[in-house]
Amino acid sequence: MKKILLILFFSNISFSELILEITQGTEDPFRVAIIEFQGSNEISKDIHEIIKNNLKRSGEFTIFDNDDLLSTPKSENDIIFNDFKILNIDYLVIGNIVNDKLNITSEYKVFDIKKSKKVRSSTIFGIPNKNRQLAHYISDGIYEEITGIKGIASTKILYVTENEDFKLIVADADGKNEQVLLESSEPIISPSWSPDSKKVAYVSFETGMAKVFVQDIATGKRDVVIKNSSQISSPAWSPDGKFLSLTMYQDGNAEIYILNLRNKNLTRLTNHYAIDTESSWSKKGSKIMFTSGRSGSPQLYEINLRQSNARPKRVTFDGNYNAKGSYLPNNEGIVFVHRADVNFQIAIKYFDENFIRPLTESQMDESPSISPNGNVIVYAIREEGMGLLSGVTLSGAKFKLPASEGAVREPSWSGFLR
Amino acid sequence: MFIFKNKINFLIVVIFLSSCSSMNITEENVYSDNVKTVKASSSMSENINLDSMAIFANATVYFEFDKSSLTSKSIQTLKSAVDALNENTSIKVTLSGHADERGTREYNLALGQRRAESVSDYLVLNGINKSRITVKSFGEEKPLAYGQDESSYAKNRRVEIN
Repeated sequence: MKKILLILFFSNISFSELILEITQGTEDPFRVAIIEFQGSNEISKDIHEIIKNNLKRSGEFTIFDNDDLLSTPKSENDIIFNDFKILNIDYLVIGNIVNDKLNITSEYKVFDIKKSKKVRSSTIFGIPNKNRQLAHYISDGIYEEITGIKGIASTKILYVTENEDFKLIVADADGKNEQVLLESSEPIISPSWSPDSKKVAYVSFETGMAKVFVQDIATGKRDVVIKNSSQISSPAWSPDGKFLSLTMYQDGNAEIYILNLRNKNLTRLTNHYAIDTESSWSKKGSKIMFTSGRSGSPQLYEINLRQSNARPKRVTFDGNYNAKGSYLPNNEGIVFVHRADVNFQIAIKYFDENFIRPLTESQMDESPSISPNGNVIVYAIREEGMGLLSGVTLSGAKFKLPASEGAVREPSWSGFLR
Repeated sequence: MFIFKNKINFLIVVIFLSSCSSMNITEENVYSDNVKTVKASSSMSENINLDSMAIFANATVYFEFDKSSLTSKSIQTLKSAVDALNENTSIKVTLSGHADERGTREYNLALGQRRAESVSDYLVLNGINKSRITVKSFGEEKPLAYGQDESSYAKNRRVEIN
């Protein structure tokens, strides 16, 4: 995994547009020419823009458009490899879109310019009026072919908005295509995806008290996970989807429990008079990390679940506030909210290093969530009192997601959906 | 429906390995990402006892940053609350803890709970039966003041008694 130090700057906000600001991409980005796909003109244009933005947002690409090129081949036979070699382009993508009322299909090909040969030929069967989905699938195919890493353009992000009421929203990874999962007059916090990305768990205050609900995304069917009279919060799914870790308050203090979703058995994980909350699972399900106030300030601790009666081990020591931690998918480190002095930042700590690397530098950054491929972190920021979502890639690109109405917060990244 | 396609059309990847070169040939189907919207019906009001509202004036006590201990000023306020509860033994109270916006939402929810529990402990120590008390927290989700300054934060670090 690339490790980088970031120096980042924000520009002015503009609503409704994705703001892409690559402050420090990879030192040597892939140079990729994407010829606008043949076929249905308007759709091709839209899809072209979506693919370009998806790839740029990763911070790993420099994209060349039709206007930047010496020739714009329509098909494989038209390609003059030298026209691309002269521009030091690494890869060329061509494709087409076939659209009738019932079907939309895209075929595209990826060429390795240095080798002067085709490396990928793909067909994607889309759904009419789901052109963004089609564009995301194409983006992911290109990304995977070139980087060897699974793409995240076709993944989703959950978040909460507050305007006149509260909404739990699911949107594409680029912040577009918003769909509402839940509308409520009371706050919603801590949304979290099931590992198969078919369900979400969240905390809703609709009954007058924090309660954890699980909702099926496709059907809207939802339930309170534990019916009792005290409050429950901070749900996190085990990687196998069989358990939900939760914060329960029945003894008057926040303690972490593990709920078996099938038989509803509860196992207590922590027992301390200080606050214990914000549990999250390691990717293999062998460890749980959580925030605890037991040292006098909020710090991250982890418990090894494979060891019986394992004691919590403190994992953060620098800074006066380290909270809401999550493990990188490759288990090489953790991402969390960090305060060294007065500002809350998103930070990363690799297990083989003994220092914390801040990734952001505004004042009130919170709720980091890691993309399933481990390359991007989405988090909530505050600008002029308003909540917005921002993203930072481990290759150094930074972007803001388009602002929907009202304040936006509590992002949570889905698993892979393709 | 927001689901994976079943196995048949989820993802068909065929990798051709020829003698001199390799190329990926893939075919896949886009899944439908439609969702169902749910409207939560709020049942907030059922927790507020209207009788108690009438007799027992609402009171609010305030806290230091990241603290749940009672200040001497809070104790003054709570003394009159204890008196009112002793005079009206039929009424019940709800203690709602709150935090300012600094720090994470879940930690603040737990902090609000601790603040409400401190108030509850005081009431119980002063002879109020625990069964008359409901304790809960709204964390940083229901601020009274929206500024990003110490005076707003101070107003938000509170327990409301009603």
